[in-house]
Amino acid sequence: MPRAIVEVRDLHKSFTRGSETIDVLQGLTLDVGEGEFLALMGPSGSGKTTLLNLIAGLDRPTAGTISVGENVISDMSESELARWRTRHVGFVFQFYYLLPVLTAYENVELPLLLLPLTKEQRRKQVETALDLVGLTNRMDHRPGQLSGGQQQRVGIARAMVTDPTLIVADEPTGDLDTKSADEILRLMEILRAQLNKTIIMVTHDPKAAARAQRILHLEKGQLVLDTAAVGV
Amino acid sequence: MYGIPQEMGPVGFDPSIFLLSGYLLGMLVGLISLALVVGLVTLPLFFFVLFLIEQVSRVVAGTTGAFVSKLVLIMFRGLRRSPLRTSLTYLALFVLTTVLVFLYTILTFIGNVTAEKEANFKAIVTHKTVIPSQIKPGYYNQFKDLVLNGLPPDMRPVNGENDIMSWSFVGGSTDPINKRPDNALFMFCMEPQKITTMMDGLDDLTGDEKRIIDDGIEKMLANKQAIVVSQSRLKKLNVRVGQKIKLYGLNYPDMIFEFEIVGSLPDGKYEGVGFMNKDYLDQLLKTMPADYLMQDKALNLIWVRLPNKMAFERLSAMVDDPKNFNSPPIKMETASSGIGSWMEAYKDIFFGMKYILTPAMVGIMCLVIANAISIGVRERRTEMAVLKVLGFQPRHVMALVLGEAVLVGLLAGGMAAFLSWFGIGNLKMQIAFFGAFIVPWQALVYGPALGVGVAFLGSLGPALSAKNVRVAEVFARVA
Repeated sequence: MPRAIVEVRDLHKSFTRGSETIDVLQGLTLDVGEGEFLALMGPSGSGKTTLLNLIAGLDRPTAGTISVGENVISDMSESELARWRTRHVGFVFQFYYLLPVLTAYENVELPLLLLPLTKEQRRKQVETALDLVGLTNRMDHRPGQLSGGQQQRVGIARAMVTDPTLIVADEPTGDLDTKSADEILRLMEILRAQLNKTIIMVTHDPKAAARAQRILHLEKGQLVLDTAAVGV
Repeated sequence: MYGIPQEMGPVGFDPSIFLLSGYLLGMLVGLISLALVVGLVTLPLFFFVLFLIEQVSRVVAGTTGAFVSKLVLIMFRGLRRSPLRTSLTYLALFVLTTVLVFLYTILTFIGNVTAEKEANFKAIVTHKTVIPSQIKPGYYNQFKDLVLNGLPPDMRPVNGENDIMSWSFVGGSTDPINKRPDNALFMFCMEPQKITTMMDGLDDLTGDEKRIIDDGIEKMLANKQAIVVSQSRLKKLNVRVGQKIKLYGLNYPDMIFEFEIVGSLPDGKYEGVGFMNKDYLDQLLKTMPADYLMQDKALNLIWVRLPNKMAFERLSAMVDDPKNFNSPPIKMETASSGIGSWMEAYKDIFFGMKYILTPAMVGIMCLVIANAISIGVRERRTEMAVLKVLGFQPRHVMALVLGEAVLVGLLAGGMAAFLSWFGIGNLKMQIAFFGAFIVPWQALVYGPALGVGVAFLGSLGPALSAKNVRVAEVFARVA
């Protein structure tokens, strides 16, 4: 495996619901190599989305450490995490979550607004990202004017526009038809192969998982199987 | 008010407090309804202005590319997302600002008329104990003599006799049988030449307005029976300038006045009333029997303009001296305190307007805004979470929510204040015999500030809730 860019050590995450404490992750340890495409699978409630959120810095662990690149993100404050996410993580959501009042161009530009870039630099990066997902001719369209597959492609452009260390995707094909899902997975493969992006994808779909290099199976908050994907 | 004839004013227990309360309540309901209608009518204008400003911010954002300008642009776009909610927020703020601008105008108006002037202030002489004040007509000359000869020279009025004015109120009806409000005429009976020099609210006349009044005064001086009447009253009486009318006295029973209407008053000046020559009343009184009930009551009050407070205090002592005036005794007070005494009866209403109604309305509107904005925040919770995921700081998310509300508040407050200022200013409404009732220009500043303030306060809670959105929770719920 190439040099680990994500290092998870003895990770615990608990939630309290009323008087009950639910241990979602129980001492999970994991390495993800640089430029690796990893799929997380498991039944509902197994903790895969929680793990993804923790690695992406959207939540803080109850115990254990998470390092991404040089940064120990489990020790960061909320505002430090926000700044770190802007530079180092790109997100792809199942339901795209594009801002409906902004055009495709403006949606992709959003994360760049937080970086010290000139207007021209931003424009160049947005156009490059949209070109990569094949939507330069749709950049002035609002999300409502795009198909599901196109919206997800905009979502991918938004995730990669900042040239992040890591791309996390939560069920990126869950809301798409087979053809669109295939296009999205192909795009993710391109991101990994051509741009050496590290991708962690949560999915329920074995076909989608088969496009990854490695599949991790989670159950009850623990890693039960770590295999190389069949399709690779 | 001082000297208003009994038929036209309260005696003893003042039932007008209930009338006024009812009038104010009715006015408030009417004003809210009117503001609501105007708000609805101006909704397209609001969205048009919103659109224009958005285009400007779009250009600014496109040109500068600055983060703040992009954030403002997102705020504008957010407002267009739910036109119904934006409209309701606008309407609530529009109505609130309109009503409060109106209340502010009334309170400012009252503040102005009751404010003491440091120098060159006016004083009123009235009956010492009886309201409405009715005193002997002979007191007028006696008082003038006291002022012009009894006061030390440096304390005398700067313009001599021209700074002293008598007022008698004459009310009558053009119909001797059916005396109704629409055929009644209320007049200030005084020396015509003092209309422009002593009456309040006539110091801002335009050239044409001054010519109209001067022309009327000249005719009144030449003809004792000549009168000038406001245009609105002429219309109500269905008479015109040049016509002769008979007025059957209301507070001067059995007295029939024969007037010639020689002119009208400029718009917004002493609406609903008229001016007649004092000499004509004196002449008619002479024709009445010596025991006629108004013979010793035909003077209601005397005005005097003094150079300073010392002169006022000196003259006040002389007026209080029973050697000068004892039957009936009279008193002198500054005009503002005189008006203030009259308003004393209504102080609870004014207090209520200022310290209960206004805060209550602001509080209610804050809750209305809070409700509207929090619905928006709940609907867009996921969107707020996505912004945070992308790296937006909690303060950015908070600014977006506050900014949208504040933009609506600014526009709604600004439009309400402007329309009130423009609309009420042109209506030339009048309270009692004061000059035209206008919205102070300061309302153009306070209106938008109020809109912004209420929108800010109302949206603060929802904005804090948006700021504290926990990303993982939001997506866990969505999944």
